[in-house]
Parts: sequence; C-alpha cells; structure tokens
Amino acid sequence: MGQLFDAHARLFDGLIYEIDAYGRRPGCDPELISRGLEPITDLERRGMAQLSEVDTELLTHKLTAIVEEARDVYMALSITESVITGDMNCALFTASGDPVAVATGIYFHTMLNNAQIKYATKYYRNDPTVGLADGDIYFFNDELGGGVHAFDMFTAMPVFWKGELVAWATCGGHQGDSGSPTPGGFNAKARTRYEEGIHVPMMRIGERFRLRQDILDFLAGSVRNPFVFAADLKSRVATLDVLRKRLLREIERRGVEPVVGGMRRILIKSEEAARARLRELTDGIFRAVMFNDDELGGQLGLTRIPVTLFKEGDGMTVLVQGVSPENGLGPMHSTWHLVRASTAVYMFSYFFRGLAPNAGLLQPIRYLVEGPSIANSRDELAHGMGTSISACVVNGLHVLGSKLLFSSPHREAVQAPHSRNIMLMIFAGENRLGYATANFTGSANASGQGGRFDSDGESAVGFYWGPFTDAGETEDTDARLPHFVLARRLEKNYHGFGRYRGGSPLVEISTCGHLGCFMSSWGSADKISHNPGLMGGYYGPPNPRVVIKNTDLFERIERGEEVDISQYELLTRRKLKGEYRLEASGQATQAFKPGDLMCFGLGGGGGYGDVLEREPERVLGDLRENLITAEVALKIYGVVVDPATGLIDSAASTRRRAAIRRERLRKGKPFAAFMRAWQRKKPPEAILKYYGAWPEPRTPGYDKPFWGLYR
Amino acid sequence: MKLIRITEYLDIELERERWRCNRCGADFGPAREPWKKGALIRERDPREIHFPIGPSKEFNFSFDPKWMRIVEFYCPKCAVMIDNEYLPPGHPLTWDIQLDLDQLKAKHGVTPVRKRRESGPK
Repeated sequence: MGQLFDAHARLFDGLIYEIDAYGRRPGCDPELISRGLEPITDLERRGMAQLSEVDTELLTHKLTAIVEEARDVYMALSITESVITGDMNCALFTASGDPVAVATGIYFHTMLNNAQIKYATKYYRNDPTVGLADGDIYFFNDELGGGVHAFDMFTAMPVFWKGELVAWATCGGHQGDSGSPTPGGFNAKARTRYEEGIHVPMMRIGERFRLRQDILDFLAGSVRNPFVFAADLKSRVATLDVLRKRLLREIERRGVEPVVGGMRRILIKSEEAARARLRELTDGIFRAVMFNDDELGGQLGLTRIPVTLFKEGDGMTVLVQGVSPENGLGPMHSTWHLVRASTAVYMFSYFFRGLAPNAGLLQPIRYLVEGPSIANSRDELAHGMGTSISACVVNGLHVLGSKLLFSSPHREAVQAPHSRNIMLMIFAGENRLGYATANFTGSANASGQGGRFDSDGESAVGFYWGPFTDAGETEDTDARLPHFVLARRLEKNYHGFGRYRGGSPLVEISTCGHLGCFMSSWGSADKISHNPGLMGGYYGPPNPRVVIKNTDLFERIERGEEVDISQYELLTRRKLKGEYRLEASGQATQAFKPGDLMCFGLGGGGGYGDVLEREPERVLGDLRENLITAEVALKIYGVVVDPATGLIDSAASTRRRAAIRRERLRKGKPFAAFMRAWQRKKPPEAILKYYGAWPEPRTPGYDKPFWGLYR
Repeated sequence: MKLIRITEYLDIELERERWRCNRCGADFGPAREPWKKGALIRERDPREIHFPIGPSKEFNFSFDPKWMRIVEFYCPKCAVMIDNEYLPPGHPLTWDIQLDLDQLKAKHGVTPVRKRRESGPK
C-alpha cells in the first residue's frame, strides 16, 4: 500500500476497513459500492482514439454547462425548500455508472449515486422482470444501497442512443419528509433504520418517459407532504429530461464515439490531474482527531472519530481507525460509502480546487474506514444522522489537508474547516399557501466559513455540504413553511478567534402564525464543537438549541415597542419574558404557538493563526460590527479600546499583548512535565459509556503520549 | 542552513533535521519526532476563551470543561501559539505532522550532514 503505510500502520484483526460493514441485501451490493472506476469499454476506447486534448477540454466545458443548466432547472421547478436553496445535485454518468460531470451542489449526493446505477446495470438490466429501456425512470433513497439517509431522494434515467446504453443522468436532493415518526424525516430518537421512514433501493417508477401513477401514489402517500413530494418528483423527471436531451444533442453533433469516449477521457484526465497535484506535495503521515457529543440512551455521551492520512507519491490513504464502536442508541451511525463520498465535498472544493470535479479525483485515494463502528456501521441501525460522523472525518481531513497544502504551491486552499456544528430545526405544518410542508429553511445554508491563511472566514457563507447553497428569501420562506421569520442576524462571539477569525453563522429567529406549527431538531456539538481552528486559531463555539416559549413578544409589538430580536441579546439581557430553554440539539417533535421563539443557526467557523497576531484594526472592526464583545477584544486579542473615543490605545495594547505572552511562558510546561499531570486526567465515566476503551477505543491499556501509534 | 516552511509557525532545518520556530528560529528538537515535544504546553479551561452565553450552566455556547480542555502549544522563546488541540481531559496528544524527511531532502537536493562527511575527500 506504500512504504509509510506499511511501516507505520497496523490494521486491527477482525475489523472491516475497505467496504461497508454489512453484506449483500435486497437492492444493495457493498462490493459494487466500494468499487472505483469501472473498466474502459470498447466504445469508450474507440472514442478516445478520436479525441484531441482540445476536443476533451471542449467536451468538459459542454458537459459542465449541461449539468449546471440542469441544476438551475431543478431549483426553479421544485417547491421543496431545501432543493430551492441548493441542497441537491445533478450529474451525468458513464454507461458503467461513474460520475463524469457533476454540478455545483452537494457533491456527495452525486458521488453516492453511482452505487445504485451500478446495481441496476448489474442486477436489473438482464432480469426479465425488470430490464432496462429507453425512457425508464428510477427512484432511490436507501442509505444502505449507496445513499445518504432516507430524506435525500434521487432520480435516475438511462440515456440510450440507437438502442445502446451510453450514459446515465441523475438528479436529487433533500426532499424532507420520509414517513418517519418525525415530521420532516430526521428522527433524533431512532435506534433502527425502520424508524426513519421509507427506504427505496433502485426502483423503476416510470417507463417511456412517464411516471407510473400507481407508484407515484404509493410514494406520495407514504409521506406527510404528498403535494410537495409529487411536485418535486415531477421536477426531477423534467430535469432528467433536460440532461438527456442536451447530451443526445451533443451526440448528434459530435458522434456517439467521441462523446462516450470523451466522458471516459474526462475521468482519466481528472485522475491524472489529481495524481500530478499529489506528487507536488510532501510525503508524510498526518493525523487529526474529532469528537462528538451524541445523545445516547437519553443522555449525551462522548464518541471519537480520528483520521490519519498517509500521503505517498501520487496516492493517499485515508485511514479512519480507533473509532468508537457502534452503540445502537441513535441515528449517528455512518457507512463506509458515506464517509468516502463525504470527503468529496472537501477534496473537490478545496484540496483539488480548480480540477474538474468527478469520480476520477478520488481514484488515487484509498479509504480504510474501521467497522463495525459509528463510522462504518451495520445495516439494522439507524443512519439518519450518519452525516454528523462522516462530517467529523471530513473536518479532520480538512485540517490535515491544510497542513499538507501549506508548504505546497496550493496554499490558497489552506483554511480552517467550514462550520459543521449542526443544530437543524425542522418545521412542520400547514403553510400560508394551504398545503402540508415539513423542512428546514435556507438558514441551514448560512453557516460560517473557517479562517483562511490570508483572510477572515466569510460569515453566512453556505451549507457545510455545499458551499454553493443559498439562504433563500425570508418572504418566500414565510409562504412555503408553517412558521415565519422575525430576524436574521450575525451574533456576537459566534465564531472561532484567530489571526484571521472564522465566519459567523446567520441566526434566524422565528415564531409561528395563528395556525401554530411543529418543530423537531437534530444535531450535536452542544457541549463541544466540530469546528476546529487551524495553526493556533481557536475552535468555533458549540451550538446548542435555543427555544424561548411563551414570550410576551406579540404583546410588546401590539404596544408599539421596539424589540431587539437577537439571540445574544435575548440570552444575556432577557428582555423578553418567557421560558428560556437551552438544550441539546436532538429533540423530538413539539408543538409551537405564536410568540414561541426558535433560534436557528449552524455555527461559526474556526479561526486561523495566533490571536495575538491579529491586526488591532481588525479587532476594532469586529467590535464595531458586533461580531465580538469588548471582553473578547481585551482578554483574547489583547487589544485595548479607549471607551471614551472608541479608538485603539496602541501603547496599552502593546503592553497587554506582552503581558499575555509572558503569561504563556509562565504557565506553559515542558512536554514531560505537562504529560505527567495530563495523563492522570480522565473525563467522567458517565460520558464514556459508549466511547470504547479509554483513551483508545480499540486498544485497552493504551498509555502512549500520542494517540494512534499501534505498532 | 536550508529552512523549509512547513506550517504557519514551523520550519524544518533540513540538513540537521530539526523543527524550528518560523517566527524566532527557536529549536523544537528532532524533525523525526513530534514538534510538540519541544513546545511549552498549557492546559486551559475552555471557558477562558469561549465565554459562556445565557442562563444555562449545561448549554451555553462554551465547551463543557468536563468534556473538553484546550491544550495550547507555545514557542518557548517568542511565545507564539503554534497550534492548539481541543481534547477530553487526559486524552493523548496528536502527532499531527510526521514527514518523510528522506523524501523531503531528496526533493530539495539536501544530503544528510552525516552522509556528506562520509562522502567527502579522504
């Protein structure tokens, strides 16, 4: 696997690393899921022989334009809240099922769709009871068959040319309700997958380019929002039609062999480009460790998700080992394929930035994800929030990638990770247009970016899984969802501090109209955070749920009072009467009524670099923009602001920073002295119940000063 | 002396295989070992950095100190914070960067000091 890996890694006996931790089951073949690119076909080989580099480049741009147009079509046609704001993707695949052209959107959606396409090709195409024909329409949302979770739903269509299968088109996204016990799908209390709604592996739902009404009725009848579901499904079929027609037009213009061969050549070029970039980087082993505060059996428990990266020559191995075991007490269980696909969001957007995003980019990377564990879990468990675990892998990888890239020509991609402190509120009920709806708002797409090596992270920049998403317009949200938005704000001290600070999230504060509504929520990072800083920058803060019940907001508005609706002001000054509830993110469905407030934000990015190197003028800017408090300016950044003038006292700031540096030298201990005291400490037993062996979940009695040294 | 920039605050002196502070040049020890062994290390209550917000002791936008501590790593000479880790109390540290020094030297055309002497004039 590589000299470094062979010399330093040791995989544990009896555990699974290179494939999902479950076997073949209906609609699901883990062996197919774990495959890389399929072999080159004869048609592709003939086509590649006809192509110049210019031809390939032109085709790359053409296919990219097609999938981007499809993205616009899907977002414009759908009435699903999260699709409208960008939690979706569209793509074109080879006939063998490898994604070639991937739209800007949620990259991991597309990087998972290959599994079900390959399944249909292998198992259904020649099955006389199913078959595969021009005009077929397929649907799937089963997380075991290669999906994310039941709430992300996808549609696929084969593309035929003169009777020959030449490509596949896919589109899909976060639909919302899945018929689980919780409106909106996410069931924070689920322990098995049978509590997360319908699971549909690759299923033909239409023929001859038309949906079958009986199947549509079955699917729409399985969820709480049939009107939204059916409208969204039809919009996907329309989008697939666009993808198919545009691709066939290219075939008419260029010929089938150059297009099919060009699609393969694009994949090969991406792999070559990825390997060339890897060769520019320093070889070595890089490690990061993340932790989760999952709700397990009614109380929060600590779990661990470490990542080790072996970079050797033009290849890499991502090793996720020493993970906490499965607990079976909640839905925060990921799968091998979700971990792999999730990393595409970082790899495509940052690590391999500038390269054409497709399956070729991941071809030089080997993924070893220890299972059974919370990162690579078995089939019967609930997986609805497995993205919280795969995100920990991605954020660890983001830190490692930044450390690897810093000394390379690609330093521009160095930054602390985008916020992944998910606390997602799902609103359900009847909207102002008179139909049932259940989803989250675009504020999910407005979390904070991590601090960059040369600048601050952007505030409210996008969704963790899709930097290209949008927060949406509040007026539209008010019409489409059962609650309405009172305020959207950037809050104080809601990001990681550093030489370049992290970005703050958009915090949306909302209440219900006269019909009331239901709201459930899920997430973690309530007592800890998933948003690391980088190179000395501090983490973005934890992100618990904030609800204020029975406020006197409407009475005050009726009296004509001005009310400053900001989460920070509400929590620190408590100007509104009411019952202030700060709690863990994962909560079952509750009824809300007018005047109950819900505060919804997805956390701030970590900082970059030592806080004492932040330019005082930038600190003053943060203070003036209400991004930090005076206490942070003074105690964290060591910047003294004259309260009379509001200007920086330079001499006092210099003294203050010198004093902080002296304190560091005084309180910092040499390694041996530090370890003597540190290794005697341990978290409370109550939170380690599902962690595994302390401190190494798979290695009882581990007493080395550094984790992960298993040889 | 050939210094190779590795991170914002760390260089490697290739010939002698030593970690060095990028800001002041302080020596952090052998580059085949974790640089953290040459740093000053300080454990901090996270509430010193992430000030709690709101009325709850359990959930307040700060880290629960029973769950997580901040471990800061400083240059022993200039006190710059080279990095930090957020770890449960007592959890082993992270050997974050373990470079293939032989590959790095070959890439930069640096011959190890010992080998250079051996291959010198006799």
